[in-house]
Amino acid sequence: MSNDDQDVIPTRQIEAFSRKVTATANHLIGPLGDAGVSQHYQNALSDIHRELRRPNLQRSILSFTQTSPRDLIRSNISIPEIQHRALSYVPDELLANIPENSSTYSLFQGFQATQPEDEKRHHHHKHSRRHSRGRKLLTEADEEQKGPPELTHLKNEKRSLNHRLEMLGIRKNMCSTEIREIDTKIANLNTMRKIVLDRLAGLEQEEMDLEQDILGVDNKLEDLEEELEDAAALAQKMPTTPTKSAVEEEEGTDEFMSESIYQKLPSSATSSPKSRRKRPVRRISMPILHEHLEAGSKIKELQAHNDTITALDFDAPFGTMVTSALDDTVRVWDLNAGRCMGLLEGHLSSVRCLQVEDNIVATGSMDASIRLWDLSRAEYNPQDQPAAHSNKDGTTNDDDDGLAFEGNPEDAPPPPPPSSMQDCPLFTLEAHVAEVTALHFRGDTLVSGSADKTLRQWDLQKGRCVQTLDVLWAAAQASTLAPSTVSTSDSAAATAGSGWAKTGRYMDAEADFVGALQVFDAALACGTADGMVRLWDLRSGQVHRSLVGHTGPVTSLQFDDVFLVTGSADRSVRIWDLRTGSIFDAYAYALPITSMMFDARRIVCAAGEDVVKVYDKTDGRHWDCGAGTVVHPGEEVGFEGVKASVVERVRIKEGYLVEGRKDGMVGVWSC
Amino acid sequence: MSSLPYAADAESPLKPAELQVLRAQYEKEGEYVGIQTKFNYAWGLIKSSNRGEQQEGVRLLSEIFRSSPERRRECLYYLALGNYKLGNYAEARRYNELLIDLEPQNLQAGSLKTLIDDRVAKEGLMGVAIVGGIAVAAGVVGSMIFKSAARKR
Repeated sequence: MSNDDQDVIPTRQIEAFSRKVTATANHLIGPLGDAGVSQHYQNALSDIHRELRRPNLQRSILSFTQTSPRDLIRSNISIPEIQHRALSYVPDELLANIPENSSTYSLFQGFQATQPEDEKRHHHHKHSRRHSRGRKLLTEADEEQKGPPELTHLKNEKRSLNHRLEMLGIRKNMCSTEIREIDTKIANLNTMRKIVLDRLAGLEQEEMDLEQDILGVDNKLEDLEEELEDAAALAQKMPTTPTKSAVEEEEGTDEFMSESIYQKLPSSATSSPKSRRKRPVRRISMPILHEHLEAGSKIKELQAHNDTITALDFDAPFGTMVTSALDDTVRVWDLNAGRCMGLLEGHLSSVRCLQVEDNIVATGSMDASIRLWDLSRAEYNPQDQPAAHSNKDGTTNDDDDGLAFEGNPEDAPPPPPPSSMQDCPLFTLEAHVAEVTALHFRGDTLVSGSADKTLRQWDLQKGRCVQTLDVLWAAAQASTLAPSTVSTSDSAAATAGSGWAKTGRYMDAEADFVGALQVFDAALACGTADGMVRLWDLRSGQVHRSLVGHTGPVTSLQFDDVFLVTGSADRSVRIWDLRTGSIFDAYAYALPITSMMFDARRIVCAAGEDVVKVYDKTDGRHWDCGAGTVVHPGEEVGFEGVKASVVERVRIKEGYLVEGRKDGMVGVWSC
Repeated sequence: MSSLPYAADAESPLKPAELQVLRAQYEKEGEYVGIQTKFNYAWGLIKSSNRGEQQEGVRLLSEIFRSSPERRRECLYYLALGNYKLGNYAEARRYNELLIDLEPQNLQAGSLKTLIDDRVAKEGLMGVAIVGGIAVAAGVVGSMIFKSAARKR
C-alpha cells in the first residue's frame, strides 16, 4: 500500500484522487495475494467484490433457486446419475449426528503426508502459481523476500525442514491412529468370534440334549421289545436266560447257592432294566468347543473333594471324569454339566491310581486291591437330576456338604443319590500285598505296579492275574547280563555295578516304588523309584531295554508310537525316542514333577506349582495354564482371593485339560 | 498448514501414476481398508477431471461418512466439494450449509459457499438465457407462421 504515502499531501483533489486509486488498487491487487493481507481480509474483500459484481437482476431472479437447471435435469432424468446419487446419499439422521472433530490431524493433512515429499512440494508451487489470481492458496512463499540470497536460501531451507518435521508429526499421528483403528477391528473380530463360539456352545448343548432324547427313545424301544419278547417267551413257557456276561464276579455273592443256580437268578440289575444304560456308552457326536476356546481359558472349576486329589482321569472331553482323593472317596463326574454322578464305594482305603476308558474304570488303592467298575450301569440322567433332587432330599448322603459347583452356587447340582453307582462294581483284583501305586489297562490286559515291588498282569476277561514281574529280580538279571546283550543305555547301568541304580539323592521312602506304567499290547513301560524306565516284553516277561537318565524317582510316564515321555522327581521331563532308546529332548522345572501327560500337541506337567506347566511341542513354547495365572482379568480366576492350591495331578486329552489340586479343587481348561 | 484444501485444490487432477499409487494402496488393503487410505483414494478421484471417477470418489466419501463418525465433519466439506465438482449443487449446498452451521469460522466452507452460489447463478442465468432464447425463437417462428398465415388469408 505505497499509495497511502500520498495522503500527506494536503490538496483535496489529490486526496480524493488518491483515495480512488487506493480503492482501485486494492481491488486489483488484493485478490492477487498480497503478503501483508491476511487470508481473512482477502476473503472478505473478495466476497464483497463478488456481491458487488453480481447484477442485481440476476440475484433477485435466482435467489430462490437452490440449484441450477443442469443439476435439476441431471438429478431427475439421467439414470446413472440417479443411481450414483442413491449410492452416495447421506441420510439426514447421519447428518444430524456429527460429533466434534477430535482427530489430531485432518484427512487432508494425512493425504498430503502420504504423498511423496518432493512431488508434493512441487505440487504446491504449481498450485499457488496457477491459482494465484484466485484468493485461495497459501501465498506465504512469495518473491517478496528481501535480503541477500544466502538468507533467502537459509530461510527457505528452514521452512522446508519445518515443513518436513510437521509432516513427520502427522505421519506419526497417522500411524498411531491406524493402530488404534486396527485394535478396534481386532476387538470387533474378537467379539464376533465370541458370538460364534457361544453359538457353537449352544449347538453342542442342543446336540447333547438330542442325544439324550435318542437314548431315551432307544431305552423305551428296548424295554418294549424286551417286554414283547418276555411275553412271547412266557407264552411258550421258556425259561428266561441270564443276560449278564461271565465277566461278572460279584464280591459278597450269596454262598448258599451254587454258581449255576445263581447265574440263572435275575440279578438286581436285570430286574430293573430301566436303571441300565441310562448313559450313552459313547457319545455319538464329538464335542469340539474346547478346541476353539482360547488356549488356557477356564472351562470349569469344581470343588471335587475336600482333600488332596490323588488321582483323576476322564474318558473324553466333556465326558465322564473320575476323581479320587485322600478323603477315601472316588467320585464320578459329568464334565459337561459339572455335576457329581455318584461315588464308587468299595475300597477300604484311598485310591492311588485310576484309569477311565470308555465306560470302564479301574482303580488301584492303598488297600492293595484293584477294582473295576462299569459306569454304563450307573443310574444317572442329567436331565432327571433336578427332579430327583426334590423327591430324594431326605435320602441324600451328607458328606457332600460344601462340594458345590464353583461358578454359580444357586444352581448347585444336588448330591447324587447314594444308590446311583450301586450296579457299577464289576470285580476286584486282589493279589498285591502292598498298596497299588500305578495301573494301566488296554483292551483286556491290565498291568498294575505296587509297593510290594512287583508288577502284575491281569486278564480282564477272566479276572485273574496271569503274570507277576519282579522288578528287583529283573534289575539283578540286567546286571548279570553281558553288556553286549543289553541296550547301550542299559549298559551304563550295568557297568555301574548294579541293575538297581543307586541314585540316593532322591531315593526317599515316600516315593512310590513303581511311579508309573503304561501297557500297549505286549509292550510295557514302567518307571520306578530308582529313576530307571524299563521296557518289558510281556510275552517273555523280560526287560528288553532300560532307559537311564533320571536321577530321581520316575513319577509319570506315557508313550505313543514314537516317543516315550517321562516325568521325574528330579524335576526333569525327558523325551525318549522309542526306536533308538536314546534321549530326544529334556527340560526341567523348578520343583519335582508329580504328574505328566501329553496329547498330540502339548506336554502338560504338574510340578508343585499352582499352575499346570505346558510345553507346546509344535512351537516349542513353555507356558502356564491354570488358576495360578491371571489369564482373564474379567473372570473369577484372578479374584479367587486366596492363592490357588498346588496342582497335584493333571490329565489332557485333545486339548482338554483337567487338573486336580491339593485342596480338592478340580479345574478344567482348554489347552 | 491448512487442515482443509480450498476448492481450487480439487480442480488440479493428479497424474495418472499418482492416482494409480493411491488406488493400488486402496485395493491392497481390501476389506479392512483404513480410513486414511480410503480418503486418499477418494480425494484423488475427486481431483480427477473424469466424471465417473469423481462420482466414485464421492461415493467412497459417503462411505467414510457413514462408517466413521469422528471424521464426519471433515467429510461434509469433501462431500460438498465433490458434489460441487459434479455439478450437484443442491447436494453440495446441503452439506456445505450444514458445515457452515457447525463451523461458521470455516474459511474453506465459506469460500465454497460463494463458489456454489456463483455457479448456480451463472448456470441459472444461462438456463434463463436458453429458455428465453427458445421463447424468443418460438415467438419469432410463431409470429412468422402467424404472419404467413395472415398473409395467405
